[in-house]
Amino acid sequence: MKKRTWILPWVMAAAALLFGSNTMAADETKAAPAGDAAAAPTITIDKSEISNGGVIKVTGKAPAGKPVYLEVWADGHDVRASRFDAEPDKDTGKRPYIFYITGEMPAYYKIFVPKDLKKVIDEEKKLGNKWSYSKLLKDLGADAAYSVPAKIKIDRHQSSLMASIIGSRGPLLEAMDEKQNRGRSMQLVKARFRSIGNVFAPEIDLKPDGSFTAELTLRKGIAPGEYKIAAVVDKQTRSEVKTFENKISFPTVYLANAGTSLNLVWPFLLTLAVAIFGVLMGAGGGFIMNPLLLALFPALPHTVVAGTVTPTVLFSQGSGIFNYSKINFISWKLGCGIGAAMLLGGFIGPKLTEMITLAQFKFAFGWILLILAALMAWQTTPGYLASNKKEQAILKEFKKRAEEAAKKK
Amino acid sequence: MKVEFWGQEFKVNMVVGCIGGFLIAVLSSMFGFGGGPFMVPLMTVALRLPMYIVVGSSLLAIFFNTSVSTIRHYQFGNFDLIFFLAMFPAAILGGYIAPQIAKRVSPLVVKRVAVVGLTLLALNLLGVY
Repeated sequence: MKKRTWILPWVMAAAALLFGSNTMAADETKAAPAGDAAAAPTITIDKSEISNGGVIKVTGKAPAGKPVYLEVWADGHDVRASRFDAEPDKDTGKRPYIFYITGEMPAYYKIFVPKDLKKVIDEEKKLGNKWSYSKLLKDLGADAAYSVPAKIKIDRHQSSLMASIIGSRGPLLEAMDEKQNRGRSMQLVKARFRSIGNVFAPEIDLKPDGSFTAELTLRKGIAPGEYKIAAVVDKQTRSEVKTFENKISFPTVYLANAGTSLNLVWPFLLTLAVAIFGVLMGAGGGFIMNPLLLALFPALPHTVVAGTVTPTVLFSQGSGIFNYSKINFISWKLGCGIGAAMLLGGFIGPKLTEMITLAQFKFAFGWILLILAALMAWQTTPGYLASNKKEQAILKEFKKRAEEAAKKK
Repeated sequence: MKVEFWGQEFKVNMVVGCIGGFLIAVLSSMFGFGGGPFMVPLMTVALRLPMYIVVGSSLLAIFFNTSVSTIRHYQFGNFDLIFFLAMFPAAILGGYIAPQIAKRVSPLVVKRVAVVGLTLLALNLLGVY
């Protein structure tokens, strides 16, 4: 009997937890979760549809004298976010080398805060790349508004040098508890959306009586589909969730892996120009294509840029090899020998892409481009040109012989 | 390693070739560029091979790298099909148009423009401006 009374509260607590989280996950549009229902803020939005971004006007009423936050997220589309944690631990000084990855980050996530908090945001913006999402959330008092990404499923991999060499993310670690998950999810929000302006905006006009209005500008290029919006005062006081839809039409298309919509005409024209120039200068277009894409479409993650530009050259390489092989102008032994080493390198490289941040990617790529520019400058010096002329003449001569030999066959 | 090519025999230092090729492959697959402009100097300068054996063979070596890194990028979810379909036809079309233009422009001028362009891009990436 005694035992049973001990267990009972636990079972009830567990049931409440299960039941509670279930209903919340199942239907978020239901009114604010239990609590002070009378004080829950109300909101209305002026339209239920926008076309590739736009302005949504929100009006509502909240308990007087308290700050109000609007949490807005894309409900239909999730994206990937990852972060490699190699920062030394504050206490032990050890580097954890843990790779965090999720596939459930909302494609759009932003918290709108009252206008008088603009100072706080501007202050954090001064830190440049070093801003912290969790700190800003706390400084803004918006902790309670942060709910949707806190629940995403995050995988942790214990990275190691060996794992990286064989091109693996490393063994999967056990799942984190709710609080840890929440903390790590904030780092992933930053890793995914990068700049403060993408995740916070001071747009809410709050009157002393608690009524508020806000004009929410949703940028172009965000994911299509359903968006949800809720007003939050504190953990217990959330308004009901309102829904609107973002519509896009061809040639603007949503890129699921990149998590952004893009007018496809631009990449097409850009690739065309870069491909032509690349052939003329004798270097693959990837050198120019990657940095240009990153500069022109900041919404594209660098992993997707690198991973999608790479295969575009496969065809031209393949046809080049085919043409050379027709006239037997390839040393298969030499090509395959060095190719074997390059195959290993190609196996490892893509793994490293996702472990570095955009800033590191840009830094390294910048230096690679400088080296390439130096190489090409060297190729325009008179000394090189003279020797190259000879080489080209020999090349032509041999190629001619090869072509003739191929014809005879 | 000895390589025979069109009646001539070359001695190739495969250790240098493989280490260099490996490093270039890691970087090029990591950052998504071809690697040709680095492979050709590696094979001509470091391995002292003549240009006519390098043109075809370097392409073959890079092809290994590109195909594997394509598969790996796909596995890691870095490949976006629609984005690819927007760029791929343009890349092929560019490959057909370029030779037509190539006859009319001096390669030296193109190279010099490229040097300036690449430097500007590099400085942009490094955040200089």
